[in-house]
Amino acid sequence: MAAVSNKVRRTIRRARPLLGTFVEIEVDAVGAPSDAAVEAAFADVAEVHRLMSFHEADSDVSRLNRQAHARPVVVHAWTYQVLQAAIELERRSGGVFNIAVAPVLQAKGLLPCFDGDAAKAGRPPHNGIELLAGGAVRFRDPRVRIDLGGIAKGFAVDRACKALGRLGVASGIVNAGGDLLVFGNGPQTVHVRDPRDPRRLICSIALANEALASTARRFDPFQSDSTDHTAVIDPASGGPAEAFAGVTVRAPSCMIADALTKIVMIMGTGAGELLAHYAAGALLMSPDGDIQVTPNLSGAINRAA
Amino acid sequence: MTQWIRYTLPAAAIITAASPALAVSYLSIEEAQKQAFPQAHFTEVQAGRVWKAEAGGKVAGFFVFDRVIGKHLYIDYAVALTPAGAVHSVEILEYRESYGGDVRSQSWLSQFNGKTSASPLKINGDIRNISGATLSSTHITEGVKRILATYGGRLK
Repeated sequence: MAAVSNKVRRTIRRARPLLGTFVEIEVDAVGAPSDAAVEAAFADVAEVHRLMSFHEADSDVSRLNRQAHARPVVVHAWTYQVLQAAIELERRSGGVFNIAVAPVLQAKGLLPCFDGDAAKAGRPPHNGIELLAGGAVRFRDPRVRIDLGGIAKGFAVDRACKALGRLGVASGIVNAGGDLLVFGNGPQTVHVRDPRDPRRLICSIALANEALASTARRFDPFQSDSTDHTAVIDPASGGPAEAFAGVTVRAPSCMIADALTKIVMIMGTGAGELLAHYAAGALLMSPDGDIQVTPNLSGAINRAA
Repeated sequence: MTQWIRYTLPAAAIITAASPALAVSYLSIEEAQKQAFPQAHFTEVQAGRVWKAEAGGKVAGFFVFDRVIGKHLYIDYAVALTPAGAVHSVEILEYRESYGGDVRSQSWLSQFNGKTSASPLKINGDIRNISGATLSSTHITEGVKRILATYGGRLK
């Protein structure tokens, strides 16, 4: 086995259902403070869920979708931070990343419709969100409805790791349904699932103070457990991104890794410069199993772990 | 321009053969009880399913063990309830996935017998962390709703 083995050590490993998936936290245990740190990390993930859920009526996202086209809406600093990152990603990707995609997802039945919503297939409005002073947000276009499903999970992972670090945890890993960040005494080995067949693993990647996120074109291993919310929509066509079976991105933060998976699913190898800008690397799998990897990620990949 | 490196990955190069099942144990019922209500003393209210937590002569809350079964998922979890019957916390105790098999069969379940929360997830070798597909926790959400409908505010 060439893989980095996990040395015998005392760890805390816990999981909770949050963000519509399973959020797992594993830390090196150094007594009671670690338990408190894990609790605090889960609490921050729950807070991100509360702020950024599309489904919950009193989340920042829902308040924005109801009111921000009419007047500025003040949001939590975390929501503002995610919106800033999303707008920058939209600009840098030439509109390929666009959180105003919600009406398209609603039209496809992937998100619920609320009062005043007009589910609409087709291109979502570009540059439709304006960030104002004092944490306020306004929509420039009345059709804008946002969904942070493509970025908030990664942000939650980053927040959880920050909470752990702040409370004295030296190293650990936070994994929200496959979007994860390894911090502290690395490296840790993470296996990557074959996006076409969840029973198989295609490689392992060694990570240290880095995030890894994956997106699959279509993943329904459990059939009865819908994972349709992960659908990636190409804003140019309003249809699902279908050229690739799946994408895995390594980046310094999980928020960026999470968002970049969606962009690479649509842009493919054309996303090379954008990945480089964010100091990220990617693995791209075609439906027939061909794999393409950026050079900066290639060295961390073990194909025969 | 970034030069991407191309690999061809024939089926034989894939590092694990199809695994019918994998599992992770997080907490035993006792460990989860202690996590939810650290100082409490537990009394079984319904065998193997519901416990009352008491601390300092007062009801601290209730602890409900449950299991959700999807077509290919089989998950043990616990819901801690406040004395008033609201959700205090939800914790996964055991997570299992299975593909192409019947998770309800005794033979499938028996492969996990004797696992403790210290046992690592095993596929072929020591595989602890997986990136890939987002797994939906819809069944747990539905299970928590069911527990609230059954027990919320009714336990004394």
